[in-house]
Amino acid sequence: MRNKTPANKPLTEPVLLILLSLAEKPRHGYSLMKDIESLSNGRVRLSTGTLYGALRRLLQDLWIERFEQGDPSRDKQAYRLTSVGRTQLHAELERMRQLTRAATSRLRTREA
Amino acid sequence: MSLVRAYRTLLRLYPNDYRTQLATEMSTAFEQAIGERRRQPGSAFVRFLLGEFTDLLIGAGTEWIAKLTTDSSVRGRCMPDFRMMRPPGVPRELRFAATCLNVSHPSLPHEVMEAQERIAMLVNRMVDAIANHDFAGGRRYSFEERQARDELHLLREKHNIEDSETIK
Repeated sequence: MRNKTPANKPLTEPVLLILLSLAEKPRHGYSLMKDIESLSNGRVRLSTGTLYGALRRLLQDLWIERFEQGDPSRDKQAYRLTSVGRTQLHAELERMRQLTRAATSRLRTREA
Repeated sequence: MSLVRAYRTLLRLYPNDYRTQLATEMSTAFEQAIGERRRQPGSAFVRFLLGEFTDLLIGAGTEWIAKLTTDSSVRGRCMPDFRMMRPPGVPRELRFAATCLNVSHPSLPHEVMEAQERIAMLVNRMVDAIANHDFAGGRRYSFEERQARDELHLLREKHNIEDSETIK
């Protein structure tokens, strides 16, 4: 189960971007695709196959959950981050911060 | 064939539980994406389509592997398999006909066993069709099941088999 994965295991970029996008507010599939493209400055464009495969795994691992919005149709199901997902996102961001600090320090040492 | 229809056809490659939960959403998202990408230059649109269809095929393979290698209780958190659920109003004996009935009686002739297995299969398909609101399909399976039971009756007479040894 992913929610038992050690915190130091890096997330894949699509999963990180999905979690970041959902951290702001609940979104449905197409809205996620657009927001991820915007978050990555147009560098990452998730296909529907990749997006929904990742959403299925995140649902299974209880990192996200389905969210009832005004329109309850199955065409546009919204998703939101769970507390487990938010914890994992914080852990990943902390891992990246630590890595960035270490990398910056190494570069400074070499340039000095 | 329209692109959306081709997309929906390829979605049939995914496992049934995945399709039940996500296929409608996926095709809606694809329709929205295609509406926007059509405005882009031709080569970008072709790249978008290639990416979508390739990822769809890869995704189908990945989902089958995930389904076959994941414990059903874990997968069931997000992908309950509605085919495993007994629809309201359908008796337990009918729903689980194939497993409740002893269709592998070693002493029965091969053609009788085949006929019994066919009846069990048709009953299961009929229940599935009704559960999926495919009533025309349900009626067709019901009709085929009656025919199969008549054939089984003739086979029983041919082999002098008592009713208690086979499906009635």
